[in-house]
Amino acid sequence: MKKNSIIVLALMVIAGCSSKSAVTPDEGTADHSSSSSPLLMPPTPSGYGFDQWQTGPLGDVFFDYDSATLSTEAQEQLTQNGGWLGSNTSKAVLIEGHCDERGTSEYNLALGDRRAASTKEYLVRFGVNSSRLETVSFGEERPFVQGESEEAWAKNRRAHFVVK
Amino acid sequence: MIQFFRGIVPGVVTLLFCLVFFPLHLNATEAGEYIAIRKEGTGNVALVLDNLDGKGRKEMRFAQALDAAMHDGLDFTKLFALIPPPLNVKDNSDRKNVVLNFPALTSVGAEVYAGGVVTMKSDTIILDMKVYETAGSKLLMNKTYTGTEADLRSIGHAFCADLVELLTGKKSVFGSKIVFVSNKTGFKEIYACDFDGYGVKQLTNSRSISMNPALSPDGKHLAYIDFTSGRPTLYIRSLVDGGIAAVGKSAVSIDPGWRNNREVAATLSFDGNQEIYLVNINGTLSSRVTNSKSIDISPTFSPDGSKMAFVSSRNGLPQLFIQDIASGQVKRLTFSGRYNTQPSWSPVGDKIVYTTWEKNGEINIFTINADGSGLMQLTQKCGENKSPSWSPDGQMIVFTSNRQGKEKLYVMSSKGGDERLLLQVDGVQTQPSWSLFR
Repeated sequence: MKKNSIIVLALMVIAGCSSKSAVTPDEGTADHSSSSSPLLMPPTPSGYGFDQWQTGPLGDVFFDYDSATLSTEAQEQLTQNGGWLGSNTSKAVLIEGHCDERGTSEYNLALGDRRAASTKEYLVRFGVNSSRLETVSFGEERPFVQGESEEAWAKNRRAHFVVK
Repeated sequence: MIQFFRGIVPGVVTLLFCLVFFPLHLNATEAGEYIAIRKEGTGNVALVLDNLDGKGRKEMRFAQALDAAMHDGLDFTKLFALIPPPLNVKDNSDRKNVVLNFPALTSVGAEVYAGGVVTMKSDTIILDMKVYETAGSKLLMNKTYTGTEADLRSIGHAFCADLVELLTGKKSVFGSKIVFVSNKTGFKEIYACDFDGYGVKQLTNSRSISMNPALSPDGKHLAYIDFTSGRPTLYIRSLVDGGIAAVGKSAVSIDPGWRNNREVAATLSFDGNQEIYLVNINGTLSSRVTNSKSIDISPTFSPDGSKMAFVSSRNGLPQLFIQDIASGQVKRLTFSGRYNTQPSWSPVGDKIVYTTWEKNGEINIFTINADGSGLMQLTQKCGENKSPSWSPDGQMIVFTSNRQGKEKLYVMSSKGGDERLLLQVDGVQTQPSWSLFR
């Protein structure tokens, strides 16, 4: 139980959350506090995996052009996500694979599927039960950002986490 | 009734015309021979489509509507050079018998003459059509078409279909359909229209994402991908009784392509890896076709169903491959271009059309022979051109282009050229697929 709290705290720090009042580990069980404590539900997570489209507890991961390979930053984010999943074992997650609009839509649907799959695979290797991780691909069908710039495209090449 | 002028003098004149102007002329005794022979010579068939005759007011009105449908239809194929009928095409100096003036037709360069009469029998419209080869004054076809006023377009197109088949020996586009995706309602839904963009009809109303429609060769089933369940799922809908089969396997389904009327292939990733499977029309799996850890998508089959072209990233970037279904042997097809996708196998031969995403940002359409020879670029310098699909006769290609802003449907000759907008509908239109049936 204590372990869980510590992981959660560690996550908060990595995620760049400022909640000085919550530094002391709770005496109670982490599982109990998880539902109500502001510790576990930071109001505005920030950092690599968080933006206006990802404000939940799990950060998204981003990909290079035509790639489903996890970068170092992506792996760090997934390690954090794995920690959260380890302490919230009742939660199941949907991992959505997304692509930028370039190229052709059938290939992008396939590429999004591989992005979601490689993300899931990392978490399974981390120790998360695969039955809690569902994947889907939206290809280029549901872009987060409209626009034809590398900035927009980079935002759209992601595996997006939805906690169910 | 039209009768024909067969004097000795015109015969000699005709013969002279043959020798001087039509060295490739042969008697078209068999369907297809005509075009097959003359193809080596000039381009389009020089055709006079004469104004149809009709006695009464009603008859004349229907005749004009049929004229327009036939003229537009034949013009769409780009197989003909339509020559206006010469003023003296019909010699009616003899009040009882109208005589065709073949020398006048050959003098304006017409190779083929088509004309006819509209009559009525209560509410039934009867169209009697005759087709002549002008140089030999030879009757090539004499056929009657019937229907009601509501059928005028299809009556006219039935004649067009017969004329094209007579002259080319191949199935025509007339009667065929094109299915496509449009976001007109705010959602991507599947629509169908006639080969020439006429009669647009919405087929799905899932208010989700519907994509990659493909009609079975007999036109009885529509395969497509739909996100209604929350994930891209392959659906096979009977257009006869409306029954829908979904592929019950989880994960994603991508881009179906029909092998024959009973089997459709699609990529399914339920075992954790994307592979192409053959699926029965009731939604059950028939067999797995590919076996690689990479992306394998977009199956399209040779006319006999023995070979499948598809996209694979097994060598890194997406390229086209051909797999022999019986032996499982795979051969890489494309070696030029870094991103080759969207293959479609010609229904009449050994050509495959596909798209290349080029370094300059354009997406262009190419054709290549199934043996890897004869690479040909069909589009250039006009933005992104995607999703090519062959007409049933292999003469034309429907595709999408953003050359004028939003993506719309266009058609062109299968050798490139004659590119034109197919239909004007609000929103974006994508992923056209031309049916093979008629």
